[in-house]
Amino acid sequence: MNLWLGVGALISVALIFLLVPLWRNRLAPRIAVSSVAAGEEAGSMPDPGLARAGRRWMTLALLGVMPALTAGLYLYLGAPTILQEQALTQAHAAYDTDAMVKALEGKLKAKPDDAEGWYALGRAYIALQRLDEAELALAKAARLAPKEARMLSQQAEAIALKAGGLDGRPMALVAQALELDYEDEKALELAGLAAYQQKKWAESLHFWRRLMKKLPKNSEFYEEIARAVKIAEGKAMEASGLGERARLAPPEKSQTPH
Amino acid sequence: MIPELGHVALIVALQLALAQGILGLAGASRAHGGWMAMARGAVVGQLLLVLAGFLALIWSFLVNDFSVMNVADHSSRQLPIEYRFSAAWGSHEGSFLLWTTLMAGWTLAVVLFSRRLPADLVARVVGVMGLLSFCFLAYLLFTSNPFMRLHPPPANGRDLNPLLQDPGMIFHPPLLYMGYVGFSVAFAFAIAALISGRLDAVWARWVRPWTLVAWSFLTLGIMIGSWWAYYELGWGGWWFWDPSENASLMPWLAGTALVHSLVVTERRGALKVWTVFLSLGAFSLSLVGTFLVRSGVLSSVHAFAQDPLRGLFILIFLAIVIGGSLALFARRASVVKAAGEGGATPGDFQPVSRETAILTGNVLLLVALATVLLGTLYPLVLDAFDLGKVSVGPPYFNAVFVPLMVPVLLLLGVAPRLRWRETRMADVVRALRWPALAALLVAGLLPFAFGAFKWQASLGLGLGAWMILATLGGLVARAREAGFLSLSAIGMGFAHAGLAVGVVGIGLVSAYQSESTVSMRQGDRASLGGYEFIFEGATEVPASNYSAMRGTLQLRRDGKAMATLLPEKRMYRTTRTTMTEAAIRYGFLGDVYVALGEPLPGGAWSVQLYIKPFVGWLWAGALFMFVGGWLAALGLRRQGEMKA
Repeated sequence: MNLWLGVGALISVALIFLLVPLWRNRLAPRIAVSSVAAGEEAGSMPDPGLARAGRRWMTLALLGVMPALTAGLYLYLGAPTILQEQALTQAHAAYDTDAMVKALEGKLKAKPDDAEGWYALGRAYIALQRLDEAELALAKAARLAPKEARMLSQQAEAIALKAGGLDGRPMALVAQALELDYEDEKALELAGLAAYQQKKWAESLHFWRRLMKKLPKNSEFYEEIARAVKIAEGKAMEASGLGERARLAPPEKSQTPH
Repeated sequence: MIPELGHVALIVALQLALAQGILGLAGASRAHGGWMAMARGAVVGQLLLVLAGFLALIWSFLVNDFSVMNVADHSSRQLPIEYRFSAAWGSHEGSFLLWTTLMAGWTLAVVLFSRRLPADLVARVVGVMGLLSFCFLAYLLFTSNPFMRLHPPPANGRDLNPLLQDPGMIFHPPLLYMGYVGFSVAFAFAIAALISGRLDAVWARWVRPWTLVAWSFLTLGIMIGSWWAYYELGWGGWWFWDPSENASLMPWLAGTALVHSLVVTERRGALKVWTVFLSLGAFSLSLVGTFLVRSGVLSSVHAFAQDPLRGLFILIFLAIVIGGSLALFARRASVVKAAGEGGATPGDFQPVSRETAILTGNVLLLVALATVLLGTLYPLVLDAFDLGKVSVGPPYFNAVFVPLMVPVLLLLGVAPRLRWRETRMADVVRALRWPALAALLVAGLLPFAFGAFKWQASLGLGLGAWMILATLGGLVARAREAGFLSLSAIGMGFAHAGLAVGVVGIGLVSAYQSESTVSMRQGDRASLGGYEFIFEGATEVPASNYSAMRGTLQLRRDGKAMATLLPEKRMYRTTRTTMTEAAIRYGFLGDVYVALGEPLPGGAWSVQLYIKPFVGWLWAGALFMFVGGWLAALGLRRQGEMKA
C-alpha cells in the first residue's frame, strides 16, 4: 500500500466525522439552550439560506486546509523518505548477508582448512542468530588456529550465547585467549562481563578499562563499554560501603530514566 | 509503514482536536447547532485516530521495529512479549500518548452518556476537552514524538528499565491516568459553568458520577503503585513520600474534597464556588503531577533544561490551563454564585450541620494537600535557583500529614450522622456515643492482643473501629428513616469502610512489623516473629533477558511446613542492572517477605527477612474504596435517570 493512500484514508476519516454531522444537522438548531434568555435565542435563529452558504464555506475550507496541513506537518515532523531507504537497505542487507554466507559456505566446502573463513562464517551466523551453526563453525576455526586469541574468544561468545551464560567452557576459552593475547578485544569484554556477573567489580573494571583504551573513541561499542564501566564503578563504591545508603534509599519507581 | 501511518493519524487527530475545541466553544456561544454537531463528531474521529496512533506504537514494540527510536530505546529482542506491550507506555513519549488516548476515550464517554444534557453545555465541555487534547497532541508531536525514526535501525534495542519489567507496569499507569484524565471532565464542566454562568444542583448531579469514577480509578492506580513498590523494591516499604508518589496523592486529596463538596452543592445548592474551585484544582494538580513525574524534573531539576523546548512548552501549558482557569474563575465566580440563588435561601446552614462537617473536612484535606505540595516543591525550587539541596522526607510528612488526617477521619464518622442545615448537638452525641465508646475501648485494649501496646496500633485500630461503627450506624439510621438504602449510600459505606480497613492496616503494620538481615549458608536456620526460615541454597536460573540467582527457603511455623519461598537476585544483561525479586507469602493476618541480598564469601548469602502484619489490609481497603466509588456513581446515575 502506498503511504500517501493511507494518509488520504486517515484524512477522510476525519473529514467524514466533521462533515456528516454538519450536513445532517437540521437547519433550525434544535437546542435546549440552558441559560440564554428565551428572547435572545429567538433573535439568533439563523436564516436557512445563510446557513447553507455557511456550511458550504466550512466544507470547502476543511477540504482545502486539512489535507494541506496534514501533508505539511508530516513532511516537517515525519520521515517520509524512510520507506524507500528501508526498502533499499533491506534488499541490500538481505542480499549481502545471504550471499556472503552462501559464498563462504561454498568456499569452505571446497577448502575446509581455512580458519579465517570459518571465523568469518561463525560471526555471520551469530549475526543471523543461527547459534548452533555458529558454535560449530567457530569450533572449527579455533581447532585450525589454536594460537589465535580472537578465534578462541569468538568461540567462547558463541557457546555462551547458546548456553545463556559464561560459566564453564566459555570462561576457560576466554582465559586461554587472554593468555595468548592480553589485548584481545572480545576476550577482554567477556572477561569483564564474567567478573561483573560474579560481582568482582574491581576485576571487571580492570578488563573493561583496558578494552576501552583499545577501542576507537565515540564508536558505539566504546560508548557501551563506557556506560558499563560507570555502572561497575558505582557497584564497586557500593560494595566498599560508600553506597550502602544509596541502595537503601527508595528509587523513583514510576519514572523512566532519560 | 505502520509507524508512519500512526504518526499521520496523530497529526490528523491534532487538527480534529483543534476543530473540536473551537467548534464546541464557538458553537455553544453562538447557539450554532451545526458546529456543535461537528464538535461531537470530531470526538469520535479523534478517538479513532489517536487509538490508531497508539496501536501503531504498540505494534512497533510487538514486532521489534527498532527503526522507531522509542522502541530501540525502551525494548529489546529478549524482552518478554507482555513487557514489549507495556513498554509502549514505559517511556515519556508513550505515556503521553496513553494519556491522550484515554483523554479521547473519556471525551467520547461524556458525549455518549450526556444525551439528556443541554446541547450547549455538552458542546462547551467537549470544546474544553478538545483544547486540552490539542495541547497534549501538540506537546507529543512537537517535543516528545514517539514516532521518531532511526535509519539504519540498530540490531537490537537497549531494553526496558528492569524496574518497569513487571505486571505492575501493565496496570499502574493506565489506571492512574484514567483518574487524572477523568478529572478533566469535572474541569471542563466547571469551565462550562463559569462561561455560561449556570451552576446549580442539576449541574452538580451531572458532574458527580464522572468525578466519582475518576476518583475510583485514581485510588486503584495509587494502590497498585504502592503494592508494586512493596513487592518490587525489595525491602517491603509501601509508601515513601517520594515526589512521584506525592504527585499522585495531591490530585487524590483534591479529588476527595471535590467528591464531597459536590454532594453539598447537589443537595443544598451550597459551596458552589468552592466546588468549582476544587474542580479546577483537581485537574490542575493532575497536570502538575504528571509533568513533575514525566518531565525529568524529579531526577534532576536541571534535566528540565536539557530539553528547553519541552520545559518551555510545559510551563506555558501549565500557565494557560491553571492561570487561564483561575482568571476565568476570578471574573465569573460571582456570576456563578448569584445564579440560581433566591428562593429557598440555599447555602444557608448552621455550625452543627452536615455542611459544616464536610466543609471542615474539605479545608483540612486542602491544608494536608498544601503541606504535601510544599514538601514536594520546596526542594525543587531551592535546587532550581541553586540555593542548595535539601531533602524533605518521611519525617516531615509523617509529622505534618498524619495529625491533619486524624481529624478528617474523625469527621468522616460524624458527618453521615448529621442532618443538612442544622442538627441538635444533643442528637449527635446520642447517636455517636456508642461508636465512640467502642472505638476508645478498641484503641485502649486491642493492641495488647498483638503483644505490646503501641500508639500506632492504638490509633489505627481506634480510628478504624470509629469509622466503621459510625458509618454503619449512620447507614442503619438512614435505612430505618427512609425504609431503603440507596446504591450511592451503600457506595459511601463501602468507601468509608475501605478507608477504615486501610487505616487499620497502616496502624498495625507500622507498629508490629519486624525485620532481620541474616547471613545464611545452605541448611542454615533463622527465626523471626514465630516463623522459622530454612535456607536450602541458591542456584542460577537463566531467563531471556536476565539471569537470576534464586534462593530457596522453607518457611515453617511451629514445626509445620507453610511455604517454599523463592527470592531472586536478577542481573539484566542489556542494561546491566541488578534487581531484587522478593518472595512473599501473602496472608490475611500479614505477609512474610524474603529478599535475597548479596552473596557473601564461603557460599553464604545475606538474606533479608520481614514480617509485615496486616499489610495487605491497606490495599484491600483501597479496593473497597474503588468499589464504593463505582457503586456511588452508578447509584447517582440511576437516580438521575429516574428524575429525568
